[in-house]
Amino acid sequence: MPITLGLMLALSFVVSLAALAFLIWAISNRQITVDQGDAETIFADGEQGRIDNQGTEAGDAERRHVFDPVAAGIDAVSARPVIILLGTATVWLVLGSIFGLVASMKLHLPDWLNQSAPLTFGRMRTLHLNLVIYGWLSLSGLASVMWIIPRIFHVPLKSPRLVLIGAVLWNIAVALGGLAIASGWTDGEEWLEIPWQIDMLLAAAGACFIAPLVRTARARDVHHIYVSGWYFLAAILWFPVLFIVANIPGLYSGVEEATVNWWFAHNVLGLWLTPLGVGTAYYLIPKIIGRPIYSYAVSLLGFWGLALFYSQVGIHHLIGGPVPTWVVTLSVVHSVMMFLPVIAVAINQHVTVAQNLWALKESVPLRFISFGALMYTMASFQGSIEALRSVNSITHFTHYTVAHAHLGAYAFVSIVMFGAAYYILPRATGRAFPWPGLLKAHFWLVTIGFAVYFFSLTIGGVLQGLAMLDATRPFSESVELMKPYLEARSIGGSLMTLGHLVFAVNLLGLAFYAPRHTQAPVAAE
Amino acid sequence: MAHKSDPKRPAEIYEPYEEQAGVPLPVIWIAIALAFWGVLMLYDTGDSVRVSLNDRAEDSEALANVTPDEGASLFEANCATCHQPDGEGLRDAVPPLAGSEVVAAGPGIIARILLRGIDGPLTVADATYDGHMPSFASALSDAEIARLASYVTTRWANGPDGAASSADDVTDLRGEVADLGSFAGGMELARLIPSLPPQPPMPAPSAAPRDDADVLQLVFAGRDEVWSCASCHGDLGQGDETTPRLAGLPAAYITKQLHDFREGTRVNESMHLVASGLTKGEMTALGTYFATLRVPSNAGAVLSGDLARGEELALQGDWSIGVPACFTCHGASGFGVAPGFPGLAAQHAPYTAAQLANWAGGERHNDPLGLMAEISGALSTQDRRAVADYLATRPPVPAVAATMTRMETDDDQ
Repeated sequence: MPITLGLMLALSFVVSLAALAFLIWAISNRQITVDQGDAETIFADGEQGRIDNQGTEAGDAERRHVFDPVAAGIDAVSARPVIILLGTATVWLVLGSIFGLVASMKLHLPDWLNQSAPLTFGRMRTLHLNLVIYGWLSLSGLASVMWIIPRIFHVPLKSPRLVLIGAVLWNIAVALGGLAIASGWTDGEEWLEIPWQIDMLLAAAGACFIAPLVRTARARDVHHIYVSGWYFLAAILWFPVLFIVANIPGLYSGVEEATVNWWFAHNVLGLWLTPLGVGTAYYLIPKIIGRPIYSYAVSLLGFWGLALFYSQVGIHHLIGGPVPTWVVTLSVVHSVMMFLPVIAVAINQHVTVAQNLWALKESVPLRFISFGALMYTMASFQGSIEALRSVNSITHFTHYTVAHAHLGAYAFVSIVMFGAAYYILPRATGRAFPWPGLLKAHFWLVTIGFAVYFFSLTIGGVLQGLAMLDATRPFSESVELMKPYLEARSIGGSLMTLGHLVFAVNLLGLAFYAPRHTQAPVAAE
Repeated sequence: MAHKSDPKRPAEIYEPYEEQAGVPLPVIWIAIALAFWGVLMLYDTGDSVRVSLNDRAEDSEALANVTPDEGASLFEANCATCHQPDGEGLRDAVPPLAGSEVVAAGPGIIARILLRGIDGPLTVADATYDGHMPSFASALSDAEIARLASYVTTRWANGPDGAASSADDVTDLRGEVADLGSFAGGMELARLIPSLPPQPPMPAPSAAPRDDADVLQLVFAGRDEVWSCASCHGDLGQGDETTPRLAGLPAAYITKQLHDFREGTRVNESMHLVASGLTKGEMTALGTYFATLRVPSNAGAVLSGDLARGEELALQGDWSIGVPACFTCHGASGFGVAPGFPGLAAQHAPYTAAQLANWAGGERHNDPLGLMAEISGALSTQDRRAVADYLATRPPVPAVAATMTRMETDDDQ
């Protein structure tokens, strides 16, 4: 067999798959031995001596899976940073969604609000993107990490003051970045618009978040790191690498720049926002339901599959671009391989929910989180299929891609973060939400709004793609046929924005109208 | 809070954990299937890289050393339509190659003629012809011209040492004749070939409307809403990309298009604006002006179309889909047939392909009999690209007297 590029690629792919299989086999085997050893020692200690009230057959096994983070003084330390992170994130969410709504309206009302440059589509859309990614999603995700990491490591958050400093710096940087974009000063690459001078401040703020988390992880008081911990720790190490490498000024140009740009833009979703969302769901779903996750080995497959496959996924955006064919093919293969980790996460999370549907009725946070987790499965399956050349060449340069991006970043990560906020905040503040009905209103506004948004853009996007590919139809036809779908998108977007205002009202209500609990905080309604 | 008593509700201190179930079997099967697919995809992409590398190597090899047989096929593809397969020419229309004093002069002269074309009367083998031979400078590579010149001399000249012409010679020649335009008939050829019989004189250049200051004003400077033709179509009417080449199109065709743009029967926002500012007289004058322009081709196959398929469509058509040969109506070699059929040769491929798509989609519908809608509709996207690419590689409408020397020559390709 002659040595070709394809042979080399195929061989290295086989080797990495074999390594992945071996890694998962080795870790899960070792874990079983460790767990058996652990079980004996823990039983000897008798743990906290508090027995769960579920008289199930698994009672023995569950007896040792109890830990009181309040009594251990853990929640008290995390509360302040988490409240500040979530509060400021909500401000960016509201601003970001208003900008997004304005940008959406401009697509079918092109003459509206075009009096000054900052109000034009190019800046409104960019503001929307950057505020929701760096303002809302990153900060709310970090809040969730700051809350969950100390809990699963059984040790209070280290250096909480540093986290506060980080939160202040990060918010200043996002505000400056927004002002820069509004005034037309950008780095000129999608997802990397914030000027690199301001990126340095973001990086410094990021370091203030990472150092305390790494210190907390090192001081952990557990033998086994729960799956949420893997995702969180990986995310806070992956993201700085992505962010710094992609933002170094003057290092790339031309095709390289485009390649690095899409490597970054897609990895922000897969290696930053996804682990934040998946890790949060992995903790809160079993926590709220009170049942364990289905399989440790499957969660290993989910995590290491993401780590191996995701980093190459973004290059499929350069379809038809002047990059070597094999680079795009490698990306297509990796995109499709993402089926594996996604199926793994789906088994672990959805099975647990499906067996305990009663909990969905009872807990609004769980409703948000399991809906979001379901959307992770959907977004990833859709993404894998979308990356195939036959699909991508129709849908890529259309609104279909916008719908897909929102399925991932909004329906999955944002909605999980809503649920996390509703779960965490009553416990962090020791208060209950004063108007439980508004939590449900929020849920229905954003899910219905999103459904309208997603289906209109998906259908419209396919029609738009087919029209653009047909040389016998004038280009203007592909623009005109989108109009009703774009109007529907604005309607969906309005419902979502309204939902965000309700979310903000709920948080304000918690801050100013909620009675203080006399006893330990209770699960939010 | 009311739910505190619910027996299912977990205690606040419950801590999530994972059970020790193995990976379910279906997941393992899916993993293996995906892995196989991925390996095949990656292996296959390497193969396509290898194939395209080989293609490229073969192409450049083919350019470097053309085999003698290719001289024959080049002749058949480019020359035989007019000079006939046996080189006997057409009485009163196309000079013969067999027994021609010009061919006897050797491959150097043939190569020069191929590069420059001829425009003017000439006498060959005791007969006088009104010579109109296009320049093949843009249509053929140096190696191809060398091979063709050698082939013609070897086959029809009586000298045995006639075949000495190499691609390097042609490269030198190409530079030498780049700015000269077409041969001015037999008069100019006789200067290079002393053995030629007496040649007829060149006719005096006709009083072309290009001397009309008003027309030149429109072409190069424009007027109010009528921006200058040259600003998009180029100084010489050579066009670019989706802006068509106008040089050498039939005058009546250009005039009709301007008229249609104004009336809206042919849709184009820019041209509608321009044509609305023109008088009928100006339209006619502009048509005549561009019809008489002669410039080398700056078009090429840029759409990655299948040139063999394009050639088939242009020369033979494809009756299985009901498409006649382009050249049936648009004239031999695609030079156009006045007044209604525009020349297609050397037209820019993106423009041709876009027009074909417009005919097919009904966006353009200003032809007299609705022929083009039917023909274009039968062509696939690949066919449209193939034929557009092929036509772009053809030599342009043959040159007339090079009286436009005051304008710069357009860069070749």
